Amino acid sequence: MPPTGIETSRMNRKKGDKGFESPRPYKLTHQVVCINNINFQRKSVVGFVELTIFPTVANLNRIKLNSKQCRIYRVRINDLEAAFIYNDPTLEVCHSESKQRNLNYFSNAYAAAVSAVDPDAGNGELCIKVPSELWKHVDELKVLKIHINFSLDQPKGGLHFVVPSVEGSMAERGAHVFSCGYQNSTRFWFPCVDSYSELCTWKLEFTVDAAMVAVSNGDLVETVYTHDMRKKTFHYTLTIPTAASNISLAIGPFEILVDPYMHEVTHFCLPQLLPLLKHTTSYLHEVFEFYEEILTCRYPYSCFKTVFIDEAYVEVAAYASMSIFSTNLLHSAMIIDETPLTRRCLAQSLAQQFFGCFISRMSWSDEWVLKGISGYIYGLWMKKTFGVNEYRHWIKEELDKIVAYELKTGGVLLHPIFGGGKEKDNPASHLHFSIKHPHTLSWEYYTMFQCKAHLVMRLIENRISMEFMLQVFNKLLSLASTASSQKFQSHMWSQMLVSTYGFLKSISNVSGKDIQPLIKQWVDQSGVVKFYGSFAFNRKRNVLELEIKQDYTSPGTQKYVGPLKVTVQELDGSFNHTLQIEENSLKHDIPCHSKSRRNKKKKIPLMNGEEVDMDLSAMDADSPLLWIRIDPDMSVLRKVEFEQADFMWQYELRYERDVVAQQESILALEKFPTPASRLALTDILEQEQCFYRVRMAACFCLAKIANSMVSTWTGPPAMKSLFTRMFCCKTCPNIVKTNNFMSFQSYFLQKTMPVAMALLRDVHNLCPKEVLTFILDLIKYNDNRKNKFSDNYYRAEMIDALANSVTPAVSVNNEVRTLDNLNPDVRLILEEITRFLNMEKLLPSYRHTITVSCLRAIRVLQKNGHVPSDSSLFKSYAEYGHFVDIRIAALEAVVDYTKVDRSYEELQWLLNMIQTDPVPYVRHKILNMLTKNPPFTKNMESPLCNEALVDQLWKLMNSGTAHDWRLRCGAVDLYFTLFGLSRPSCLPLPELGLVLNLKEKKAVLNPTIIPETGAGAQESASNAGCHAQLAGFQNPFSSSQDEEEVDMDTVHDSQAFISHHLNMLERPSTPGLSKYRPSSSRSSLMPQHSLGCDIIPPTKPPWSMELSRKGIGKEQPLEMGVHSMVAAPLSVFAKESTSSRHSEHHHHHHHEHKKKKKKHKHKHKHKHKHDSKDKDKEPFAFSSPASGRSVRSPSLSD
Amino acid sequence: MADAAAGPGGSGTRPGSKQSTNPADNYHLARRRTLQVVVSSLLTEAGFESAEKASVETLTEMLQSYISEIGRSAKSYCEHTARTQPTLSDIVVTLVEMGFNVDTLPAYAKRSQRMVITAPPVTNQPVTPKALTAGQNRPHPPHIPSHFPEFPDPHTYIKTPTYREPVSDYQVLREKAASQRRDVERALTRFMAKTGETQSLFKDDVSTFPLIAARPFTIPYLTALLPSELEIQQMEETDSSEQDEQTDTENIALHISTQNSSLSGSRNGEESIIDNPYLRPVKKPKIRRKKLTLKQVLNSLNIIFDGLAAIVAEPGYR
Repeated sequence: MPPTGIETSRMNRKKGDKGFESPRPYKLTHQVVCINNINFQRKSVVGFVELTIFPTVANLNRIKLNSKQCRIYRVRINDLEAAFIYNDPTLEVCHSESKQRNLNYFSNAYAAAVSAVDPDAGNGELCIKVPSELWKHVDELKVLKIHINFSLDQPKGGLHFVVPSVEGSMAERGAHVFSCGYQNSTRFWFPCVDSYSELCTWKLEFTVDAAMVAVSNGDLVETVYTHDMRKKTFHYTLTIPTAASNISLAIGPFEILVDPYMHEVTHFCLPQLLPLLKHTTSYLHEVFEFYEEILTCRYPYSCFKTVFIDEAYVEVAAYASMSIFSTNLLHSAMIIDETPLTRRCLAQSLAQQFFGCFISRMSWSDEWVLKGISGYIYGLWMKKTFGVNEYRHWIKEELDKIVAYELKTGGVLLHPIFGGGKEKDNPASHLHFSIKHPHTLSWEYYTMFQCKAHLVMRLIENRISMEFMLQVFNKLLSLASTASSQKFQSHMWSQMLVSTYGFLKSISNVSGKDIQPLIKQWVDQSGVVKFYGSFAFNRKRNVLELEIKQDYTSPGTQKYVGPLKVTVQELDGSFNHTLQIEENSLKHDIPCHSKSRRNKKKKIPLMNGEEVDMDLSAMDADSPLLWIRIDPDMSVLRKVEFEQADFMWQYELRYERDVVAQQESILALEKFPTPASRLALTDILEQEQCFYRVRMAACFCLAKIANSMVSTWTGPPAMKSLFTRMFCCKTCPNIVKTNNFMSFQSYFLQKTMPVAMALLRDVHNLCPKEVLTFILDLIKYNDNRKNKFSDNYYRAEMIDALANSVTPAVSVNNEVRTLDNLNPDVRLILEEITRFLNMEKLLPSYRHTITVSCLRAIRVLQKNGHVPSDSSLFKSYAEYGHFVDIRIAALEAVVDYTKVDRSYEELQWLLNMIQTDPVPYVRHKILNMLTKNPPFTKNMESPLCNEALVDQLWKLMNSGTAHDWRLRCGAVDLYFTLFGLSRPSCLPLPELGLVLNLKEKKAVLNPTIIPETGAGAQESASNAGCHAQLAGFQNPFSSSQDEEEVDMDTVHDSQAFISHHLNMLERPSTPGLSKYRPSSSRSSLMPQHSLGCDIIPPTKPPWSMELSRKGIGKEQPLEMGVHSMVAAPLSVFAKESTSSRHSEHHHHHHHEHKKKKKKHKHKHKHKHKHDSKDKDKEPFAFSSPASGRSVRSPSLSD
Repeated sequence: MADAAAGPGGSGTRPGSKQSTNPADNYHLARRRTLQVVVSSLLTEAGFESAEKASVETLTEMLQSYISEIGRSAKSYCEHTARTQPTLSDIVVTLVEMGFNVDTLPAYAKRSQRMVITAPPVTNQPVTPKALTAGQNRPHPPHIPSHFPEFPDPHTYIKTPTYREPVSDYQVLREKAASQRRDVERALTRFMAKTGETQSLFKDDVSTFPLIAARPFTIPYLTALLPSELEIQQMEETDSSEQDEQTDTENIALHISTQNSSLSGSRNGEESIIDNPYLRPVKKPKIRRKKLTLKQVLNSLNIIFDGLAAIVAEPGYR
């Protein structure tokens, strides 16, 4: 937990102190990362780092760094051996003996564990003791160089190896490795200060096979062969101060492409993909030009690299001067659908280069600014590239997404402020995870967070104008680039960090406008607004009486007070009105401008100045109102449910030029299945000028309307004649024209219409035979020979259409599904699917879109009872080695099968895959899909819900996913979906002690008992997992500590423990003297660590197992004894925890200080034991620390 | 003796040939008889008074095969030199090849005690039955010399094509193309399914909808991303814009330069156009001492070159 010192310093900053105060007692200026050896066969990495730091306080004696799963061989400070301990409480959040299975408890423990190593709180997993010889040096605040040798063996996160198992050398096989992770995850592959706020310059060196290329941040200075000429070393320097979290690496036999337009931009892809790379990146220079122009600022780095790799963690990851993309974004010129998506990814990554990489953030609570700005300028690029329609459509889509998410889960908070101890108004109490750290966030929440951030930026733009907005960005960038060119001056470099405060200040300086209410509403507060609108026209007064109600009591909503724009289209034109939404006013009177006089034939002026003829016969004769829109510019994050007559929606759809309005009216028309709606939709479908996405939406709406009016429907099935007219031959209307996708609008329409048509149902609720024949004919006559573009997406949609046409099988007394009783229509469908799927094996389509659709269709047939439900086909397609899209589609089917058939076996199979699959994205995706389509939920009785499953999932999130933040959060999400926040109902009733524990925890959480300063302490009290970092040292930021505390449960590897124990005791400079005498001159460093990699080393010596088991055994009786004492006075406990703050064991009920003595006793015993064991087993026990390590250190033991 | 040997010889060697009606058989028998006479006379010449029938037969057989071999071999030699009629030299070469001393032949032929055998009675050459002729063989056109073989029978090369009205109806064409493609695809996939592993949607029936078994790839992204051969072909057919090609060649040049970067010491000129660190040559490992000397070597080389240039430029040179 953050010691009080830091807490206050952070609070100061919040209160308006402009400067950035580092949470660390030193300042990092430069870091060298050198990776000498990368072994693809063994998936291991060996190297060292050297950090140059300047102490900022006199008595700095311990340096905390971040490091996960790295094995540290030795640490030297200014060439002197330094002792270190390694402890990572996030490895196992709650200890295994704990019978607690409730998520509330876990989430608290997890948040505490994460903050225990959070660099933004000055913490870290690795704690290095400054050798006493340097104390004087430190007191003079002179430079320290920390040299750390480390290695990584089979990393499970942070660095991902892709090694295809084919013949040939690693380069020939296309083996590659790249860094990846969610938020600051650099600590997974080298020791560093893994914070976005600690900037320094970098020197990066990577020695790789001569056939490989190492791509990293900054400028490639030179490439030098090793002496044997078999390897080469890539030397990079990054002179722009950069946070470790923005450092990345990709090594592989990449093909190199220098951008023909910008020679300082280089693209890399895997072998054989160069032609695709050329096409894909040929557009990038335009994105560069756009951003540089609007920001009036050159791209901050001297070079830019794009690397396309396989098995990507995320599609786009932006790092300083380089971006890592999924290789699946590459496409050839024949592919239509992927092109805009890939370009969007490129643009997104480039926006993040400016805001996110070059400009970093001060703390996690400032993240929204960066995500907001990068998302916002990306939106501007969208507007310029794809047009205003696409932009507005996208904004609407994003708005709908965030609204839906917030209403579902209860709110996304952009700028969480964590005041000391005010847990009462914990901003995220509705969530099952903590939002204090990025690493505890659910992935979905984080995605929505980014979405909201850019929408809020757009709101700010609405308020202060785009010009000012861009000026603010320019100001931030120019400040940062001035700072970046400075030599190390800590106060200058902090200009490269953006904070919420600084950003807002900049806005008020530039625009002179007060946007505080806006910020308060959307940034400091979570929730969206929900409006209900209805109106009445008062003919006498010629006034529109608008009633706008709000729902601000449901979760995820908030009350809106302020201006609201309403646009009224009347006969005489379109008029904007700004209403003031206030506390109690619901009704608003809006005077109308025109009298109802539609006898005169007159053109009606629209909002955009256009004048059109309308057929006004549908209108209400008494009212001049054509349609009304609430908040047409989407300047509030809201959901609007507005009631107006069907003809008004129809007018709005036909004549309103805004695509958002058109879409809203399409949605509304679903409720009005009348011939007039049908006509309006058909007209839109036929209108070529209309935005293609609106037309696509109209297709589906038309299908729904047609189904609702099935008994009165006249003429051919909806859209059929339209499709025939647009896409079929004039002479033979049943044959579709040969494909020509030159016009993308009609291409998208051609793709969509059959899919929508397949949703049509006749009076028997079956898909009309006519429609099915029509679709089958489309497939039959599909001819792409003359087309410039690939038709793979089109064909895939045709299969989707076939799947859409499937209706539940009529089952006669539950007979088994066999071929004989197959419906003849289904037989035809199945024939097509079989052929398509088989053809894919011979002539695969781009991204295997057809296979994906076929798999989905087969699952639909299974679900509808036409084909026996079976998961084996999907399981075979889900195997590693298939293209990722296929795997995901197959896994989705298995997940669905698990749910429908309640199959325990499949669930186990999925869970097993979550743990073992080589691709992190697939693991994440399975969890995600299970969460979205859970086999059961917390309120449901299910045979799958049993104790074993609870244990399994608990283990998964507790320790099984420690190497991947995203995965762990995914596991937490799943656990929440299945069991909820409290103890799963399928577990047996907890024993007495645990019940009391729960109570106690609640009491601890109660802010009335714990004073303000107890923010950290209370976490320590309530959480078992975090105790380790409490081995705090007497640096100015940490409170006093029980020095002799050794927690046996965190000692995962006793061997390592012993070796370190010895190292601690030994002073490198005076080897013979101080052996076995704990020096307590300052504060002695007691090892309390789980060293080595983050899992238990695979070949752990048997005796060490025994040892740890014994340790546990020793504690067992103690635990028993504790149960009776849980009811100790809470106030006593609280006091104790704040004052002495001794480290807690995983027995969270160990709050009583009475225990202290007892514990000490047995701890000593342990120590003793270790020493004796040590002597027995280790012949090298007395050698120098360096040699001792080389023999016994855990890093080499296996 | 010769008579005795010769008399029943024909029927003796060919016991099965009871009827001598066949002219070809007669012909062979006559030759055989002549050979027997020859063998008998040679035996007489050698001083034998009588011989068993079997031994005469054996010798006849040997002689026949010897002569046949000479003929066969001579024919080969003659054909080897692109002739149709064997010449004397062909025979000579043949005999040499068979290990016969040719020089002794004239002397042997002129030996005193040789017996003269009467020429065998001329028998009719067997006639090969004529093939059925149809029509008149065409005479050679004037540009073909008369010694060339005659034209074969007209029915072997003359044809009379029959035409059907071509189908031009769009609908039918499309229909045909579609069903043809579908048939090909179905046949192909069925074949693939029959010859390989399959999966099935129905437990009870594995043949009606056979699915080719899913087979994981070692590098899945390649098949997924690269256009298939069919598509590439298609792309070539539909015109590709010129601009693309231009950039392609440009980039290929770049790419080559990167691949050969280790050799690209001499490419300084081009690199000054595009200065990208990834295109620069990989440096040799530094050896401290050598760095200086290399420079010195270069310097001294320069001096030498300057000197040479001066000498060449001198008017008196040559």
